[in-house]
Amino acid sequence: MSYYAQLLLNGIVAGSVYALFAVGLTLVYGVFRFINFAHGELIACGAYFVLFFMAAPLSLPLAGAVLPALVLTVFVGLAQDRYVYKPLRHQSHITLLIASIGLSFFLRNAIQLVWGSDLQTYGIGLTRGVSFFGLSLTWIQMVMGGTALFFLSFLYILLTRTLLGKSLRAVSDNMALADIMGIDMKRVGRAVWLIASAFAGTGGILMAVDTNLEPMMGLTNLIKAFAALLLGGAGNVWGALIGGLIIGVAENLGVAFFSPGYKDFVSFSIIILMLLFRPRGIFSIAGGVR
Amino acid sequence: MDYALHILILMSIYSIFAISLNLELGYTGLYNFGHVAFFGIGAYTSALLSISGYPVMMSMAFAMTAAGAAGALLAVPALRLTGDYFGVATLVFAEMVRLFFLNERWLTKGPMGLPGIPRPSWMNEGVAGMPIYLLFCLVLTSAVFLLVRRLTTSPFGRALKVVREDEYVAQALGKSVFILKIKSVAVGSVLAGLAGALWAHYISYISPGDFTLNETILVLLCVVLGGRGTNWGPVLGVCMVVFFGEAVRFLPIPAGFGRFIAPLQGMAYGMVLVLMMLKRPEGLVPEYRR
Repeated sequence: MSYYAQLLLNGIVAGSVYALFAVGLTLVYGVFRFINFAHGELIACGAYFVLFFMAAPLSLPLAGAVLPALVLTVFVGLAQDRYVYKPLRHQSHITLLIASIGLSFFLRNAIQLVWGSDLQTYGIGLTRGVSFFGLSLTWIQMVMGGTALFFLSFLYILLTRTLLGKSLRAVSDNMALADIMGIDMKRVGRAVWLIASAFAGTGGILMAVDTNLEPMMGLTNLIKAFAALLLGGAGNVWGALIGGLIIGVAENLGVAFFSPGYKDFVSFSIIILMLLFRPRGIFSIAGGVR
Repeated sequence: MDYALHILILMSIYSIFAISLNLELGYTGLYNFGHVAFFGIGAYTSALLSISGYPVMMSMAFAMTAAGAAGALLAVPALRLTGDYFGVATLVFAEMVRLFFLNERWLTKGPMGLPGIPRPSWMNEGVAGMPIYLLFCLVLTSAVFLLVRRLTTSPFGRALKVVREDEYVAQALGKSVFILKIKSVAVGSVLAGLAGALWAHYISYISPGDFTLNETILVLLCVVLGGRGTNWGPVLGVCMVVFFGEAVRFLPIPAGFGRFIAPLQGMAYGMVLVLMMLKRPEGLVPEYRR
């Protein structure tokens, strides 16, 4: 029994990080109505920039490297919008989709160019777990869960208590109407990319602390974020949050039943099943940041 | 000389692959981001059958049937999805197929791959057989080119274009959009399966690593670069991509810089894809519109 409880706990921790990825993806979808394939590379950028600041010439400690790495990731996110997506805003969805695939391929290869394609780690060393009620939890897992909780509460307050949050929700509900009502679209657009890249970068760093870094980590985690997005209903922030948790738990419980080689199959199957039977998410809510 | 033959064979095989994707993407407007799955199914089916003793030509026929069947099977549920969601579903399908190749060791030998795939018996093995294999590929490529040109200039092809432009108009004209799309995907998959089989028998060794998202991006680039919805576009795109990809090998690159070539090439492909979308989304050979 405690074996399954442990898997559930691991799933919740991993899922809270997936939620960070999914929230950004779903926000961009909610406001701009396209799926950003290059979102995965923001995840990888966050992780690799930390590696850069921790490496030889600067040699910052992990805690000191996080902030400049996030600033750089946000910069990459804003540049994506400024140089690729903004000029294409009035083109068809498909043009945007192909451009985002191209951009993701470009960025992934750029990461490979600089850091190579081998597995890398931050070299933090092993930490001892804390156990209670027969379950064990490592410090890293606590940091992961805690950071995710902090970021998501921040987002909750932003969306529900501030004017920016209100205009964000208005734009994602009806872009044309929001524009007519005098909401500053540029400001909302910038805010969306800022939140999406900061959340993706943070999640990427947490993933890298827990496991390791490789150039494909963006794509693997992007697929999980997709699954979470579809579970919650595209464009729905709270849905993405719950979706992320479900994916994390399902994947970790899946390990108990299938061969570990098929771990990613869980999120793949969830994507296919959701697309087929409930493309609007488990709650059947049509889009919009509620 | 042998090297020139090698490049021509690659161009020929990839032309079939690109023409088959163009039938779906260019003519029908179906954004299949998992087309490599059918290339892979074709390659593995033909390889497994011919290794276990079936004649090569028969294995290739089976490969085309298997790829076509898989295409139709995927198409029936996936075609209920629109635009970007169809893209996501096909991309995920391709990843699932790759994971299957990687994990079902009893059948595919997993990551070890399948070595020693034979050529047709009337061709000489190795270098001696290359001119014959090239001729064989060229005949098949021409046949595929003529077949697809015939299909797309017929009333069937015009109906496909109507589906691409506006599904409601197609319905109003009494066409079954669903059936048209299924036919398009089925033919596209059969041809991709043929390309995969030709490739497997030429290279003589395949492994799951040959059928990743990278291959999809490569063929997508060929179609987009040449021109979507034209007959010569994909062929031109393939010639350019293969030519420039191979030309890189002759650059005077200092030893030790070798590991930078592949990522730089990938960055260039991604960049060209993005630039095409920004500057010339219709490709180098724009579609003739009355």
